[in-house]
Amino acid sequence: MSVLDIAKGMGVTLGHLFKKPVTVQYPEQRAQVAARFRGRHHLLRHPDTGLEKCIGCSLCAAACPAYAIYVEAAENDPADPVSAGERYASIYEINMLRCIFCGFCEEACPTGAVVLGHEFELADFRYQDFVYGKDDMMVGVTGSRWQRREAESKGKDVRLGLESSHRAELEGVDD
Amino acid sequence: MKVTVNDVEVDLAPGTSAIDAVFAAGYDVPYFCSQEYMSPVGACRMCLAKVGAPRKDRDGNWILDDETGERTIFAFPALLATCTSALSEGMVIDTLSEEVKHAQNGMIEFTLINHPLDCPVCDKGGACELQDRSYEYGSGRSRFEFTKRHQEKHHPLSDLITLDRERCIHCKRCVRYFEEVPGDEVLDFIDRGGHTYIGTVEHGLPSNFTGNITDICPVGALLDATSRFRGRNWEYDHTASVSLDDASGSAVVVDARTGRIERIKAGLHPEVNKSWIDDGIRFGHEYTADPERITRPLLRKDGELVEVPWPEAAAFVAERLKEFSGKDVGVCIRADATLEEGVAALALAEHLGTGQVDHAPRYGPTVMPPAQATLQELAVSDAIFVVGDVSEEVPAVDLRIKDALRGVTPPPLLPHGVPIADLRLKERMPRKREILCVAAPYRVDLMRHAGTVARYDVGGEETLFRGLIAIAEGGSADERVLGMTLAAAKAFVDRLRAAKKAVIVTGGFVLSSQAAADAAERFARAVGARQLVLGPMANAYGLEAIGVLPSHARYDYASMVAGGAKALLISNLDPAADPAVAERLAESRLLVVHDMFMTATARLAHVVLPAKSGFEKDGTVVNLEGRFMPVRAAPVDAGEAVDVTGLVRELGLAFGVRIEGRSVRSARRSLRKTLGTDLEELTGLGAFVALPRRRVAVSVAARPGVRGRALRVPTMVRQEYLLRNPHLLATLGGPALRLHPDDARTRALSHDDEVTVRVDGVPRRLRVYVTDAMPSGVVSVPALPDAPAGPADVDLDGIVVERRRLEVA
Repeated sequence: MSVLDIAKGMGVTLGHLFKKPVTVQYPEQRAQVAARFRGRHHLLRHPDTGLEKCIGCSLCAAACPAYAIYVEAAENDPADPVSAGERYASIYEINMLRCIFCGFCEEACPTGAVVLGHEFELADFRYQDFVYGKDDMMVGVTGSRWQRREAESKGKDVRLGLESSHRAELEGVDD
Repeated sequence: MKVTVNDVEVDLAPGTSAIDAVFAAGYDVPYFCSQEYMSPVGACRMCLAKVGAPRKDRDGNWILDDETGERTIFAFPALLATCTSALSEGMVIDTLSEEVKHAQNGMIEFTLINHPLDCPVCDKGGACELQDRSYEYGSGRSRFEFTKRHQEKHHPLSDLITLDRERCIHCKRCVRYFEEVPGDEVLDFIDRGGHTYIGTVEHGLPSNFTGNITDICPVGALLDATSRFRGRNWEYDHTASVSLDDASGSAVVVDARTGRIERIKAGLHPEVNKSWIDDGIRFGHEYTADPERITRPLLRKDGELVEVPWPEAAAFVAERLKEFSGKDVGVCIRADATLEEGVAALALAEHLGTGQVDHAPRYGPTVMPPAQATLQELAVSDAIFVVGDVSEEVPAVDLRIKDALRGVTPPPLLPHGVPIADLRLKERMPRKREILCVAAPYRVDLMRHAGTVARYDVGGEETLFRGLIAIAEGGSADERVLGMTLAAAKAFVDRLRAAKKAVIVTGGFVLSSQAAADAAERFARAVGARQLVLGPMANAYGLEAIGVLPSHARYDYASMVAGGAKALLISNLDPAADPAVAERLAESRLLVVHDMFMTATARLAHVVLPAKSGFEKDGTVVNLEGRFMPVRAAPVDAGEAVDVTGLVRELGLAFGVRIEGRSVRSARRSLRKTLGTDLEELTGLGAFVALPRRRVAVSVAARPGVRGRALRVPTMVRQEYLLRNPHLLATLGGPALRLHPDDARTRALSHDDEVTVRVDGVPRRLRVYVTDAMPSGVVSVPALPDAPAGPADVDLDGIVVERRRLEVA
């Protein structure tokens, strides 16, 4: 190894000093996530009818390698249906501490009802606050439980610390 | 008979079907319409295989191949449905060739043309034969681009069964089942071709065995309404157990999810219930999830029952028991308690030093006849005499009697189990009605199938049997006593005597009188028949066999609650439903009640201890034929509930002693000494264990004199839990007071009126059920554990109409 080699190496370091830094000043700055990033789940509705896409079939729970999903189904009232079809999920819970964000649930879903979104800021204080129900994941809800609590107490909108490009599956979530 | 399936040669009995040969050889063909214990019809055309057989020439010699010198195999011109093809010598079956695969693939495609692909919302999804077979034998893609057939979805066939007509693939299993197994033709195909659907003439399925069609439906067309959308098939914990609903010991599979029983399916026991269970067993489980269930011990403090921890409740009982001399304490368990619970109750009584130990309901006469018949013997019997309403009392026995009427012996088991297609069974087989005689004080369901019918008078069982004995001895008897013509009685007695395998089936009506039971036994001996006695509850046989009986006639359950015991421990019984008993019990110094619900007795108790249901405990029961069968606990959340062994364990801890029977294992150790058999090793099919036959020296207290002509009748559905089983309640409309139209007219009652009537002094709310099955002047009310089947005292003059039917509408 010669002095020249050392100088070459230092040259690389020196070159980077003058480049634009990649560090993001999170949370003041928003983090950029990729379009296919797998974050918290969203439960979608049919855009035209507003009915839930989830039919409570439990296939997501069957596919889940971490046993994070629990579904209980019930029969739709034909006069006032919750979902399209005969059954809907009366209880739909995902334990975010158990979830490994593998996306198998999304893959297993026959109706495209559960989709992994981009939100990743799920930190909270108590175990039970990590068990997300339908109210926490239904399309239209933005932010984790803690973020929504924080926003409500301050009387502001939820501020997500992320930015991403549009993904077609997240119909009604991104736009 | 040797046949070759692909490359495997199997040797099977002549008459075996080709489909069974394929399965016996370890190969597989898809099928939808064949079903164990039912006739094969070849409706679905799925089990196609290429079949060939050697032929003989005119001289009776096998036609041989010129080159090889072996028998030439002549293939059938088309593929055969193996389920309807009988084996012949040297047959060659090919299930693997491209031709067969192509045909099976085509049939799957054809079946799926009109089958909706709504598997994610279908309750059968994950356990569906069509789903599995499409996966195994289908092409994986559809070429069908047109709109599928649309028919009615979720059509309520009855309150218990939902029919999805789009999903039906017309295998005809359900239609055949009703005609062949219970003999109730309540379902049939309507319309033709692709528009065919199954339906009933009227709403509802009038049969006691409707639920079985949900088990045998190969797709999700017929579904159990109680478990509709409750969970997916792979989410259930399946526990193979034995039903404690009646004395048959029917095999069941209990499906539970997240600590709750969601459905009961029939288990397979070739010698007991085959693969059928009645609706009382199948749908009568919802009470276990009732929100009013007691889940923690309750102790009376300042006049109120409050929840306390187990040790506190047990310590209280142990402390208070010290105030009594041993013989003043009474212990009584219900007759569907397991053997292990019986041991625990006996050990507790022994520890306390009391002879007042009993099980209830219990009749005076024994349920262990000297010449015991088994259910298999019943199914091949050539003369059957039934007294009582067996279809309601132990419905499994009803089905085995109908097996005997078909005259087909139970199929031999093949390497793969019960034959899939038993070619001896046919649709609409002639039934040998002449071998069955049914006698009852009113018209019972089984009479439709009987060649000889006898309608004797209420309480006339003893005189009936005496009359029959007289006939058997060559004498004569009064036709009014027999309830049939003398000629018919003589003919049937002759048939019984001539029969090689005659069986006499008696139930609660005969058991409720010692004289009648003795007469029945004498008659059985006179004609050389074996006996099947239908005990009042699941383990009446076993508890009698191990001697959970009072040491003296004065010490029985009736005497205990009548004041014989100053301190009383009772499990799952409700004597205080009777106001007179309640008055006495209210003054008792210590009343400990072990029950699932706040019964009238529990409300009077000093301590209420939570009990397990029959689905939640491990143990052993002995069914009505003396077969020991293992009961297994399903994973159900019952809070702090215990069975009697658990109760004894907790009390033992408070006493500071180790009582025998403090756990199931401890009780089994004790039973091993007395029975010489280790019940831990009992397999699911159970086993017969030699039992000492003891004459029950004690008898229950004499019943109060009967005023009217009324009966407590056995029911398929457990009446004590009926109000907590919403689906069954909707079907039955409530416990029924059945009476003749004439009687209803004279008392100005109409069908479906709700009335309160005193039965043996106990006010009961019942629904009026007007039927000409009851003779004029006779009424019936459902039996309860505390008031088992037998003659009753119904106060028809004091009837109070609570609600008229018209007000409901």
